[in-house]
Amino acid sequence: MPSSNLVGNRERQFVVVIGFSLTLYLTDITWEVRANSRHFHKHRRRRSFLCFRWGRYAVSHSTLFKYSPLTFLPLTLYEQFQRAANLYFLLMVVMQCVPAISSIPWYTTTIPLVIVLSVRGLKDLANDLVRSLTHPPITFSPSQWKDVCVGDVLRIHKDQIIPADLLLLCSSEPHSLCYVETADIDGETNLKYRQALDATHTEMTSDPTEQTLAAFNGIVLCEEPNSRLYTFRGELHWRGERHPLDSEHILLRGTVLRNTDTAFGMAIYTGSDSKILRNVGQLRVKRTQIEKVLNKVVIGIVLFLLLMALLLAVGSGVFQGRVSSQIEVLSALTRGNSPIYTAFLTYWSYVILLSPAMPMSLYITFEMIHVLHSLFIGWDVEMRGGVERSIPAQARNTSLNEELGQVGHLLSDKTGTLTQNRLLFRQCCIAGNVYGKDELPSLCPTSASPQTLDLSWNPFSCGGLYLSDQRLVDKLRGQQCTQSRQFLTTLALCHTVMTEWRNGAPVYQAASPDEEALVGAARELGWVFLSRTRDSLTVSELGVKRHYQLLTLLDFTSQRRRMSVLVREPEGGLKLYCKGADIVILERLQKDCPHLESTERALDLFAQSCLRTLCIAERTVSEAKWEEWSKTMAQAAMTTRNHDDMLEQLHDDMERDLKLLGVTAIEDRLQDGVPETISLLRQAGLKVWVLTGDKKETAVNIGYACRLLDPDTRLLEGDELRERAGEKSALVLTGPELVNIHYRSKDLENLLIQEPEWGARFMSLAGLCQSVLCCRVTPGQKADVVTLVRKNTASITMAIGDGANDVNMIKTAHIGVGLAGVEGGQAVQNADYALAKFSFLQRLLLVHGRWSYRRIAVFLRYFLYKTCSFALVHIWFGFFNGFSAQSLYENWFIILYTVFYTAMPVECLGIFEQDVSAECSLSWPELYKVGQRQELFNTWLLAATLLHALYTSLVLFFMPLGVFYNSALDYQTMAVTVSIASLFSIILLTRHWTKWSVAAMCVSFGLFFVCTPITHSPKLFEKSPVDYYFPGTHLTSTTNAFPSPVVWFTALLTAWTAVLPSFTILMFDLFSDFPQVHITKHGPVELQKSGFRRGDSHRRSSYAMSQGRGIGRLITSGASRRITFPPVDRRGTLGDNVTLAGQTQSDDAPKNITENGSSK
Amino acid sequence: MKEELETANRPDNTAFTQQRLPAWQPMLSAGIVIPGFVLIGLAFIGIGVALFIASQNITVLEKDYTGVEITSDCYKCSNPSDKNCTCKLDFSLSNLFEGPVFFYYGLSNYFQSQRSYGVSKDDYQLSGDLDYFKTPISACSPYQYDANQNPIVPCGSLANSMFNDTFKLYQIVNGTKKLVPFDGKGIAWWTDYNIKYRNPSVTPLKNAFNGTVKPPFWSKPAYELDTSDPSNNGFVNQDFLVWMRRAALPDFRKLYRRITEGDYASGLPAGNYSLEIGYNYPVLSFGGRKKVVFSNVSWMGGKNQFLGIAYLVVGSLCVVMSTVMLIVYAKFKFPEDD
Repeated sequence: MPSSNLVGNRERQFVVVIGFSLTLYLTDITWEVRANSRHFHKHRRRRSFLCFRWGRYAVSHSTLFKYSPLTFLPLTLYEQFQRAANLYFLLMVVMQCVPAISSIPWYTTTIPLVIVLSVRGLKDLANDLVRSLTHPPITFSPSQWKDVCVGDVLRIHKDQIIPADLLLLCSSEPHSLCYVETADIDGETNLKYRQALDATHTEMTSDPTEQTLAAFNGIVLCEEPNSRLYTFRGELHWRGERHPLDSEHILLRGTVLRNTDTAFGMAIYTGSDSKILRNVGQLRVKRTQIEKVLNKVVIGIVLFLLLMALLLAVGSGVFQGRVSSQIEVLSALTRGNSPIYTAFLTYWSYVILLSPAMPMSLYITFEMIHVLHSLFIGWDVEMRGGVERSIPAQARNTSLNEELGQVGHLLSDKTGTLTQNRLLFRQCCIAGNVYGKDELPSLCPTSASPQTLDLSWNPFSCGGLYLSDQRLVDKLRGQQCTQSRQFLTTLALCHTVMTEWRNGAPVYQAASPDEEALVGAARELGWVFLSRTRDSLTVSELGVKRHYQLLTLLDFTSQRRRMSVLVREPEGGLKLYCKGADIVILERLQKDCPHLESTERALDLFAQSCLRTLCIAERTVSEAKWEEWSKTMAQAAMTTRNHDDMLEQLHDDMERDLKLLGVTAIEDRLQDGVPETISLLRQAGLKVWVLTGDKKETAVNIGYACRLLDPDTRLLEGDELRERAGEKSALVLTGPELVNIHYRSKDLENLLIQEPEWGARFMSLAGLCQSVLCCRVTPGQKADVVTLVRKNTASITMAIGDGANDVNMIKTAHIGVGLAGVEGGQAVQNADYALAKFSFLQRLLLVHGRWSYRRIAVFLRYFLYKTCSFALVHIWFGFFNGFSAQSLYENWFIILYTVFYTAMPVECLGIFEQDVSAECSLSWPELYKVGQRQELFNTWLLAATLLHALYTSLVLFFMPLGVFYNSALDYQTMAVTVSIASLFSIILLTRHWTKWSVAAMCVSFGLFFVCTPITHSPKLFEKSPVDYYFPGTHLTSTTNAFPSPVVWFTALLTAWTAVLPSFTILMFDLFSDFPQVHITKHGPVELQKSGFRRGDSHRRSSYAMSQGRGIGRLITSGASRRITFPPVDRRGTLGDNVTLAGQTQSDDAPKNITENGSSK
Repeated sequence: MKEELETANRPDNTAFTQQRLPAWQPMLSAGIVIPGFVLIGLAFIGIGVALFIASQNITVLEKDYTGVEITSDCYKCSNPSDKNCTCKLDFSLSNLFEGPVFFYYGLSNYFQSQRSYGVSKDDYQLSGDLDYFKTPISACSPYQYDANQNPIVPCGSLANSMFNDTFKLYQIVNGTKKLVPFDGKGIAWWTDYNIKYRNPSVTPLKNAFNGTVKPPFWSKPAYELDTSDPSNNGFVNQDFLVWMRRAALPDFRKLYRRITEGDYASGLPAGNYSLEIGYNYPVLSFGGRKKVVFSNVSWMGGKNQFLGIAYLVVGSLCVVMSTVMLIVYAKFKFPEDD
């Protein structure tokens, strides 16, 4: 239902606008949830049957089985007769049962129809069984999930997936804080925190028994279920008080509880009402472009047949009026009928007689070939991934295979799809010396045992160091080089990581994976971060425990792009340790900083290897300077005017005259073969877009790393979008920008009018660019981008992702691919294809997709050719039998022709046809463009095919006519001749010859020679003379059709004449194509081992943090577990709220300082 | 051991599942295509020549006796109200008409392939089922029952319209007419008189037809079709069987007799002949024509020039095509400079 879906999209976009630009006034607070009162919700549960739905609250589990023994038959029939084709065939069957018009008996259509319905029904049933058996953890998981009812109070343990959208009531942590990982929702890997209302927190934690929870009787009034992930509006009515609720009190379904022992929450939205499931978009039946063209053509053919039937019916009326009225033997048969009535009957008879031109077996064979192609994908050994290659590729939707050969836009998620979401500390540069192997890390085959260093001296070492350089270890242990020791001290001190002791070893909980990698690397090298309190840090430096007093922490923001800690060393000195983006740090260095040049070279070197860099620097601060600075800071907190500027200035004042220590280089590890795949796909003419919830810097960095962007690509950002894009440019957009550009107009009505024009403009710009990166986009916006592409280009879109945040996009795109990755099973569940690795796209698209497209295109043309040429003969025969809808074939030939005699060659074609081998397909990615340009299946080619069919039908009839005219050969002989000729001509057209197709050909012929004597056998005739009316076509006895040389000579000549044009065209095609293939031939795509030549300006320094500020404030403000100090401001820490974040930080930064100052 | 494990993990590694079946694509090189086309063309030309020669060797004598022209002897019989009219058709042969000679009657503009006409018969009745003698199937209507509700046997329009002209061929030898013996056996398909059509096992056959009436156009009942041969009556009468085997096209011939006996076994000698026609079958009302055809046959059946010529045309077309292909190929393979 495209139209309804469109409306759905509009609505969603509409909602997005409001979410960003206006305050929420649209939805009413009408959703009522009563805690602990199942009876209230129970009979309001939503139920459905067929298309009817009632009830209010969704059930938590989706029905496991769609069918039950009782409902299978009606349900499957209901579903199947929604297809126009099946209805059409049913109509044919009904018509054939009317004796007055039945030109061929009822079973010619009924048998195939029953087969089609039962095969499809069984397939659906099997799918249903498979689906419910292989339910993924996320929707199936603990069996209690299905019992969750709105209003229930749930206890969630650490590392559990949250089963419904919950209102957080309390948790085991101080202030009822709790941490959640939202990777499944937005692709960000840092932890977010949520906090319960003070009211519930104080009540529940004072007496944390189950009774208290069971007695909780608050009523939540909130918005109706919606798809907005980042907002929530409602209030809690409890004990006569009203507490406003926002999204910070809500634990979303699909997120994972981390660092928190237990949390209690009350279910507000369950099942399909939950926000993440609301975000997955509407399920729609995907139909391929070929299918759409086919449907048009089928409708065209049917209309043509109806028209022909009409003309023939007119002919029959005229014939009765003019000719047969003179012939008494004929006129007697129609006595009492007016010519018009006869024509009316004849019309329907011809409709029936010509209906095999559009046979049911087309659909069933089509489906069968689809299924087999899907199996091929699953069978492909080279697309097996995972441990021991145990995960095969999986085609979950079997009907989209040919579209894999036509993809024009690939829209990819980043986290988990392009990257492994593992950050590895690979190299560093300390005092101008580069440590770590200089190799392109992505070419590293395995990361299983990277550790070659002997770190046994370090009791805290637990593996996972990807930098192996004995020189560095020697230097560190040798105590000679202070710079390297300072460097590691910075890594161990300057961060917001928290520790948790497990089995005598520290486990780091970092808000950003970068930090975790850095602190982890420091641990391996002997600088072990042990613990922190609000104002101190404990580090074990090569076994020596040292306590640093934390004076202040200047946290990371996306504007500052650096973070610093000011600590008092155990010896008493004050040190500022700073890490940050190279540009920011390099301009804050002291004059004549040593090693600057060599460090810059190292930065370039790391940039070439696509490593993410951070500069590390330190500064010794004098006691006087600190005292003065902290005073100014306290003053600044009081002022309200130019607050931000003052803060910025103060920070700047402290973070200057730095001494450069070195550079860290972190690899955001790409999935295997991603750069190769992307460059191959780009050669194949695909546009690869990256849509990610992550921030811009990371996305751009990955864009370079995976060769989506060339080193010299110009990035167009923000306002540059209005400029003209050149050849070598790429668009970089962020979600809020997307919304802003999209809805620049404030007027909502105008907006909907302007939208299409905007979309077209944007796409024409994007068309000029080599890629588009969309950062900070929500799942809904990902889907909107896909819709944008779908609406404004004719190309096929493919979306690939691995997390729940990609589900909507996967569903919206023509083809959705899910990676069986780490982010959970949602993407795979909703995808059409499941792959183990991104790089398998190469084979999926360039080999399987290309073959599928080719096979199905050729198959469909061939099939339509064979059925049309076969059936249209009746039009010409009409002129010689008084337009009486006399069939030229025996009934059984009509039935068996498509099912037995010609099915196998055509199926072989659909299964085995390969123009070039898999290796060639991968070596010449340009071959893929055939599918993108729809060169093998378009209206013109189909028209040509149908014309050829028309020609063939003419030959099939008039060639034997010439032989049989005015001869003693009878109707039966002619029928047999035409049958053999049509069979010959179909089989002669086989092009791809394998032993299978040769076998199929032989079997087809064999079947013909076996079945014909059977259906022509005297025994069967005696049983039912009406059904088997052609006895006597024996191979042995004389005076009958089969052994007659005339029959065979005629059939041979007819068949050859029929296929002559297509053969000739094929030959000429071959000759004209052949040299071109050789001209375009070039060696297989080889990836240069060396990095890119890139200027200094392309260093990519960044830090994978949430776009909002870090959690440093939480640490210093004492909201972490050991400190009981209530956080003052909790607003604005959500990922989407960029502007708020900056403001709030400035709000409470002074507070930290005063606290610290007082504690000192 | 390790290898075994690996293969156990990949059970599907066959040529079929990996789509690596050996393929043979015969059309890919011009070296095969062009000679192939030439060969096919030559083969077709060869067949065409053979068929053409075979067809040329067949002698056909075709005579229209509808009686449209006033000069025709049969003109007098062309009035449909005239019953039992006899006319004759004289012709002379200058050479020996080589035998065995087949004698056909031909009709044109006659739509035996009309669907409702073709199904207007009762297969059960015709296979000798006596139940259907009393109640023929409704497909036979309006030739199911007569005005007195007596069942018609054989029922239906197809049987009713059976061709009923009779022919006798005389050679005029010295002014006297010498009857040329006709062989009416074995002109129908074996399956027809053994399987499709059978008389009820009632002796005499006449009794089976009690309570039934003959088709209205027939002059004699079915059991008296051939008075000379009792076994050639009822539904297995050869003339009846030949008629019941429908023609596909509106212009057709049907085999009437063969001339294989006596002095004429080797053919019809040169001389004058007279064909005596019992003119019963009306065709003029719908512009139809009746004719008689004498023909001998070859290995490929009756005279058929169309097939031979068509083979020659298509064969030559193939040769021409391959020449064009050769030129095109040469242009692509060796561009201008070569």
